[in-house]
Amino acid sequence: MTDPRIERLADVVVNYSLPLAEGDTVLIQGPALAEELIVELVRAATRAGAIARVRATVQGTDEAYLSRASDEQLDHLPPWSLEEMSAIDARISVVGAWNTRELTGVDPAKMARRSRAAQPLMAQFMQRSAAGELKWCVTAAPCEAFAQDAGMSLDAYADFVYRAGWLDTSDPVAAWKTYATRLSKLAEKLASVKTLRVLADGTDLTVGVEGRTWMASKGTHNFPDGEVFTGPVETQTNGEVRFSFPAIMGGREVEDVRLRFEDGRVVASEAKSGEDYLRQMIAMDDGASILGEFAIGTNYAVEEFTRQILFDEKIGGTCHMALGAGYPDTGSTNVSGLHWDIVCDLRSGGAEIHADGEPIFRDGQFLAEFFAEDLSVPA
Amino acid sequence: MLCRYSLEIGPGDTVLIDGPALAQPLFVEVVKAVTEAGAHPMLRPRLDRADAALLEGASDAQVAAITKLDEVEVEAPTRALTIWANTNTRYMSGVPSETQAARAAAMRPLFERFLAREAAGDARWCGTAFPCHAAAQDAGMSLSEWEDFVYRAGHLDDPDPIAFWREQSKRQAAIAERFTGVREIRILAEDTDLVLDVADRIWDNADGHKNFPDGEVYTSPVESATRGHIAFSFDATYMGNDVAGVRLTFDGGRVVEHEATRGADFLGRMLDMDAGARYLGEVAFGMNDEIQVPTRDTLFDEKIGGTCHVALGMAFPECGGTNTSGLHWDLVCDLRRGGEIHADGEVVARDGRFL
Repeated sequence: MTDPRIERLADVVVNYSLPLAEGDTVLIQGPALAEELIVELVRAATRAGAIARVRATVQGTDEAYLSRASDEQLDHLPPWSLEEMSAIDARISVVGAWNTRELTGVDPAKMARRSRAAQPLMAQFMQRSAAGELKWCVTAAPCEAFAQDAGMSLDAYADFVYRAGWLDTSDPVAAWKTYATRLSKLAEKLASVKTLRVLADGTDLTVGVEGRTWMASKGTHNFPDGEVFTGPVETQTNGEVRFSFPAIMGGREVEDVRLRFEDGRVVASEAKSGEDYLRQMIAMDDGASILGEFAIGTNYAVEEFTRQILFDEKIGGTCHMALGAGYPDTGSTNVSGLHWDIVCDLRSGGAEIHADGEPIFRDGQFLAEFFAEDLSVPA
Repeated sequence: MLCRYSLEIGPGDTVLIDGPALAQPLFVEVVKAVTEAGAHPMLRPRLDRADAALLEGASDAQVAAITKLDEVEVEAPTRALTIWANTNTRYMSGVPSETQAARAAAMRPLFERFLAREAAGDARWCGTAFPCHAAAQDAGMSLSEWEDFVYRAGHLDDPDPIAFWREQSKRQAAIAERFTGVREIRILAEDTDLVLDVADRIWDNADGHKNFPDGEVYTSPVESATRGHIAFSFDATYMGNDVAGVRLTFDGGRVVEHEATRGADFLGRMLDMDAGARYLGEVAFGMNDEIQVPTRDTLFDEKIGGTCHVALGMAFPECGGTNTSGLHWDLVCDLRRGGEIHADGEVVARDGRFL
């Protein structure tokens, strides 16, 4: 029998996150190991009157392709992929893996080259999303590889995943709706801020956000969710940041990342391990050394760092920033084949965020004088 | 074999690889070969359960829907490989047969579009089997026995499989040559006396290019002429449905009577799918002597040396066939014990052997 939490997850994604309307064409993509969730998503989408199409992936084909493809092949962006992107009304991406280190043997330059070639596809995706033409949601299926990275058994990890989506509560959709209202107020509050300053161990970073739009991530584009984010002004990031959690991309882990920014750009980077990879990614293209996103995680049901960005960036009381592509709907103009989220823990040690000189956040919580609403999981 | 011989993949080709996710090892090997050939893989691994879920409880509009995603799959590839395997050959049992028929009918313009691209030389297609438990179980074998059977049927154990298939191709070409110019074919076997008109139709030599394994010669008969009756010897599963003991009676090319000992309802639904479903789109003779026992898997059964098969529904334009349908259902008749094939009144095969 299907775990009832999987049916609930599918229901929330289809009827709350997107939500799907009758006649929508929805592409559901994910690894074959997520069959249970994919099947439930198809059922929920069909009940909603949508036309579902499934695009599964199987283990090992990416490695087989990437390790053999010539530059010419990697540069080829199939025209049909753009046609598809322009035709769908919604997309659900299920993340999951057989082995999160599967692509570690592939030359990073090849991965970067492929990402660069796919840039027009990413741009089209973001434009359609910003124009409200494309509904999308990224969600996760519990799997052994993610559980292992999180240091958990599969059962413990499944509990973590479903708890993070509040799927163990009696009415998850109602809880997310209540939370969404509160989080939207936080985004409104942040809208008047001109400059943010993050102060933590090894970190004193100033980020310009004047005139940019703050988005409340309330379970629409990601599920589980819980963050507020914006696209920083491209030329105003200054200072230093030290990321307490490892930066993870393509199965590679870069530890203790330290970046120094001047006038928006990374001018110095170092890491305890994976430094070459870090620098290679930052040098990928012109926009890769500029922040495309600055965000604060606000899902207080997510506490553990599990090496999956979908969850890690939501940890209540953390902040994260992404090198590379920004979301146009935030006002960001940064374009890149990269979008690399890196998370910094602000839950202890007197870590603070200041807005235009005033402290608004300390040790993982917004200060009541700035924002008094309760951001914990609604009862 | 699939990439070098069957599909002859070259630099710049867009290669659609469509099959169940359980065929993962074959997906990986094909991706390697395709990439090394300088082509672009277009992967479409499927999940049986998701395919069934798409139709279970779907409205008529959902069943009939053709999306851009479906169109891209027939327009974009210059080569297409279909991998046949299942997690469970009865995976569609929860979907009403009229829903399955409606879906097949809706897909028909797409099939026709791809066939037109094939006929124009813009695309090539090959269907192959990946050994799986479900097919092994239907064939009454263990997985390892089934693997041996599948790979032997393709002569993949031979030191040089491509050389074998080139030889087999010559042997089959001689039979196709013999049928060329023949006007009337009569098939006689137990409870079978079927007369088909094949005048001016083109006989194709199926030598491992469109199916792998392969081994048959086939054409599309004149649509309005088939008469008589035929009993199919082997059990079959079609689109996840169990069918056995099929007997058809034809008059003026059309199925006028049908019966089945199992799956009669499904058979009836398929025949009523559209106007072309009651007419034959193919008549063929199996010539793969490595395949001797029926397996409930049409890909193999229709190739058994010494059998013939006819297909209800869609015909092959390249053979001169004009019948169109969302259906193309091959049904196999064993000629190895007392069967005869007559060509314009002359006996050309007896007991499954060409004379």
